[in-house]
Amino acid sequence: METYENFNTHVRNLGGDVTETDFDQRGYHLDVALTVKTVREFAQTAYDHGFYLVFVTGFHVLPETGEEDKTSGLEVVYQFATFDRLCRVKARVSVPEDLTVPSICHIYQGANWHERETRDFYGIRFSDHPNLEPLLLCEEDKDYHPLLKEEKKLKSFEAVSWSAQRPDTADMENETSPDV
Amino acid sequence: MGQRSLYVEEKTNRPVIKPDLESYTERIKAECYAGLSHDRMNLDAGPLLRLDLTDKLLKLCQANSLWPMTFGIACCAIEMMGTGMARFDISRYGAEVFRPSPRQSDLMIVAGTVNRKLAPVLLTLYEQMPSPKWVIAMGNCAISGGPFNVKENYNIIEGVDKLIPVDVYVPGCPPRPEGLLEGILKLQEKITGVRHPMPQNRHPDVPQRKVKGLEL
Amino acid sequence: MYPSIMRESQFQEHNRFFLNMGPQHPSTHGVLLVVLEMDGEYVLDPQPILGFIHRMHEKMGESRPCQGFMPNTARMDYVCALPYNHGYVSLIEKKAGIEVPKRAEYIRVITSELNRVASHLLWLGAYLLDLGAFTPILYGFDDREHILDILEDITGSRLTYCYYRFGGVTQDIDDKFVDATRVFIKRLRKRFDMYEKLVTKNIIFIKRTENIGIISRDMAIRYGITGPNLRGSGIAYDIRKNEPYSVYPEFDFKVPVGQRGDCLDRYMVRVCEMEQSLRIIEQALDMLPEGPVRSKVPKNIKLAPGDCNFAVEAARGELSYYLVGDGTSVPYRLKIRVPSYSNLSCLPELGEGILLPDLVSIMGSLDLVIPEIDR
Repeated sequence: METYENFNTHVRNLGGDVTETDFDQRGYHLDVALTVKTVREFAQTAYDHGFYLVFVTGFHVLPETGEEDKTSGLEVVYQFATFDRLCRVKARVSVPEDLTVPSICHIYQGANWHERETRDFYGIRFSDHPNLEPLLLCEEDKDYHPLLKEEKKLKSFEAVSWSAQRPDTADMENETSPDV
Repeated sequence: MGQRSLYVEEKTNRPVIKPDLESYTERIKAECYAGLSHDRMNLDAGPLLRLDLTDKLLKLCQANSLWPMTFGIACCAIEMMGTGMARFDISRYGAEVFRPSPRQSDLMIVAGTVNRKLAPVLLTLYEQMPSPKWVIAMGNCAISGGPFNVKENYNIIEGVDKLIPVDVYVPGCPPRPEGLLEGILKLQEKITGVRHPMPQNRHPDVPQRKVKGLEL
Repeated sequence: MYPSIMRESQFQEHNRFFLNMGPQHPSTHGVLLVVLEMDGEYVLDPQPILGFIHRMHEKMGESRPCQGFMPNTARMDYVCALPYNHGYVSLIEKKAGIEVPKRAEYIRVITSELNRVASHLLWLGAYLLDLGAFTPILYGFDDREHILDILEDITGSRLTYCYYRFGGVTQDIDDKFVDATRVFIKRLRKRFDMYEKLVTKNIIFIKRTENIGIISRDMAIRYGITGPNLRGSGIAYDIRKNEPYSVYPEFDFKVPVGQRGDCLDRYMVRVCEMEQSLRIIEQALDMLPEGPVRSKVPKNIKLAPGDCNFAVEAARGELSYYLVGDGTSVPYRLKIRVPSYSNLSCLPELGEGILLPDLVSIMGSLDLVIPEIDR
């Protein structure tokens, strides 16, 4: 859509990788892949273009153990949307090995609580956060990160993204719904 | 905090910290009831002189004027509010005065799921209530953890009777207001020994009180 | 020893203290602790503390097949449970490509809007109870009981509904439902006049809510405030109009919008929304098509790999579900974005330097339900 071409160019200038997606299939318009260095500038760009913060959350996939691009397996997912025209943006950042991501609290104050919750559930630290204390878990459980997956349940990022092969739907169509 | 391992595959085989709910509840109870032996937990000091008639009268007064404390936590709280409203009037059974302060109440209706974070709060409130006091566990969550009593549970206390002694259990998710009223009536029966003294509502197993000159 | 301490304390702020509001307090939001740093009657810094009803919904979403998560959706926001059902069911249908029959879509809209009216009636009563008036909650609950009776006939429960299924709804509605709803709509319209005289034109209520807790557009963007809180500040953002789902495009309804963004405007927006919901229900009942109410759906729905987002307009704001599938029927990640989470996070900024009773008024006007914040 031409209404967010401006936004796209700004984000590409920052170094983010923007792809336009099918809204009917996915529910959002833009998919942005960021790095740790470009998070704050992306948030500032989004704020300047009038996007409001929908959520900030974490995501745990199988880490890559190659020599060069070793990742921790964790990701932070942001979602923004606008009031005026229909545009939803999903941005994701791969968390480095030291589990630290810059915080966007100073631009979007609503991210304060979202980032505290992400730290509770995943153990990701946000630098320059005013008070990174447990939000939902009790004080004794602050080192227990419940949404981290066990090793045998982890899947790689490619296995859970749209480029993976669709499962065989032939056997599904023969079954009918139960009378519930 | 430095480098952290995320899951168990380490060479050292250190497990992920998983909260142990059983030992947690035991520890909380030990802290709060330190000094009191477990058997004496339920007893009041008792009056110096016990007369049968005054005892019966006192129990009748207590049963018919229970003052609940509002401890509505989650979904069951709305049904508790609905019980206090005009349609399912709880004030006809004497329990309409919902006191926010535990010091002025004698019935605690635990309506909702009790959390690890909320458990010390619940115990503090229970301790602040003056004796004699009663507890109704309303809803499946207060009885046994309810729909959240699952294998991956790390946070909720499976049943409030792991923390405090419960007198009446009202099942349901959430229980209907009539269910809560039945719970109140059952509690009144537990206190006085007889069902609410209306002959047409008399339960067949409960003994009928004889009133002189009245044939029923 | 003593005189030196006394002399020191004379120069300290002896009016400053910390006050714990909650987690058990008589207003009916739920278990919320707000630690207030007070200077006499003025609140300097309200800090909400959450987590007292954290019930691991997201963890449960990742550990069971997608059809097993349905009861959880109702228990997050129990006051207005059907839009939560709607969002989750629509998300899975979008992901798996399941078609929903037209009649089922209309029934979903009718029941969701009835639930929205019930939620706003409860909010009205609870808000006025916080402000000190006892009569409106009795009237509100009385009207709400009518809706609960109508919905109980077809769904089976009074509060935590689990009525929608993948591919439609569980049970068809009958003539009794349609007649009872029409009678109820007529009755409620007459009652609105009574509420207007009792509450809206009441000078005490106006004084308690005017010019208090003003939310600006910039604050809404920074915190992500949506729903009637946002519409009270003049921004006409309603997911039913901006990002339409289900059969909402076929109905003609307005989106009420306030001007200043104070508590009174948020109240007026919700009252007008109730009227608009009644309009939607009337139109839906007139246009109700015939047909099946449930389409054939495979027993084990396999979620294709990839992520998907779905937003609905709950009674409190924008509710969106974000799901990542991995090819099995168990979601890999399920994130629920609840409206009250963002609405409450603006409390430290809204409540700086105001009187304590005004803080109670602001918290009531934000329409919070704490179990959905803690999930």
